[in-house]
Amino acid sequence: MKTTNLKSLAAGILACSALLLLGASPVQAHHSGAMFDRSKAVDLDGVVKAFQWTNPHSWLQVEVADGKGGTKEWSIECGSPNTLARSGWRKGTFKSGDKIKVRIGPMIDGTAAGIFVGAQLPSGETLGEMK
Amino acid sequence: MIVKLKHCMLLTLAVACSVTQAQSPAGAGFSPGDYTGVWRMVGGTIFDRSTAEPANAAAGQPGARERPPYNAEWEKKYLARIELVKQDKLPDPISNCGTPIGFPRIFNAPDGYEFVVTPKQTWLLTENGPNALRIYTDGRKHLPDDFIWPTYTGDSVGSWQGDTLTFTTIGLRGEDGTIVDRTGIILSDAAHATTQIRKADAGTIEVKLSIEDPKAFTRPWLVTKRFTRIPGGDEIRIMDYACAENNRNPVAADGKTLTLDSKGQVIDAGR
Repeated sequence: MKTTNLKSLAAGILACSALLLLGASPVQAHHSGAMFDRSKAVDLDGVVKAFQWTNPHSWLQVEVADGKGGTKEWSIECGSPNTLARSGWRKGTFKSGDKIKVRIGPMIDGTAAGIFVGAQLPSGETLGEMK
Repeated sequence: MIVKLKHCMLLTLAVACSVTQAQSPAGAGFSPGDYTGVWRMVGGTIFDRSTAEPANAAAGQPGARERPPYNAEWEKKYLARIELVKQDKLPDPISNCGTPIGFPRIFNAPDGYEFVVTPKQTWLLTENGPNALRIYTDGRKHLPDDFIWPTYTGDSVGSWQGDTLTFTTIGLRGEDGTIVDRTGIILSDAAHATTQIRKADAGTIEVKLSIEDPKAFTRPWLVTKRFTRIPGGDEIRIMDYACAENNRNPVAADGKTLTLDSKGQVIDAGR
């Protein structure tokens, strides 16, 4: 797990969403987004356990090494299928078993969850903000 | 003039989507232009982007605010709600899934929009929610006082004058239900609005709202919203959006938005 301080993660998320989500940012969720820390980004290297292609949010479940010889499952909130599909995502964009790097805006309380910012797929292709 | 609206849902309902009509019964003309396709709002879900602080603020961002023309009493209420946003405890009816987004917030939704325009009715259909705003332009009046009751979306009637639809909206719920956006803006049960919709150009729908609230405002609140077509032509469609489908962010009794894991268990620290 790697933490990156950004000048403005919020701006990054908005920029990402402009490219990815046709203006429908993950922060335009059906619920408050105040649980996410928008001042930093966390990069996770892990293995996709599941990708829930659902409303009101898609969720990416990723198994990440916990530093104790085991793994911890992280829950990563993405957009809804309508907006994601319009930017080229499909329900097979993430497949179980894929080794990926994913960047999130983490939960403020330290919970193993966050909001999607970007990802690098096994093919090397990137989604969202991964610079 | 023959107006054919190619993109139309709900064909089984009473209003035909392909119409031949010279004039609106309630207006001096009916020349709406082309509203076909799927549209999206410009500017994010800050209702009045022109007064957003900071200028690039996102709705729900702690400390973000706008400048509705509140009087001192309602400015104090707004500031209290801004504090609730900071605590992640702003009560937002739509977070509970199934509650209408209401008026005027229906002009402030993410995702796709359809504007179904006919001489006698115009429907604003939002993908998010989903939600509907029906505007009657057949000459009828607002619901009478002994019938109307406070609702999330209110009662809207108006008329077309050439390319411009002007309508008024009354009958809103007020403080507990007329929430404008997630910075915490609310209106009172005295709020009402006059709204104009027109095609500003081929690819832009412009909505100008004048919201009056004798209890909360010192003057009318003038807000302009714009919508652009989502690219993709005839392949673009409105998709199903049901908040209850896999809602992993329920709202607790204390107003805190929770996060569930993939098995439905709360994972927030201390919960």
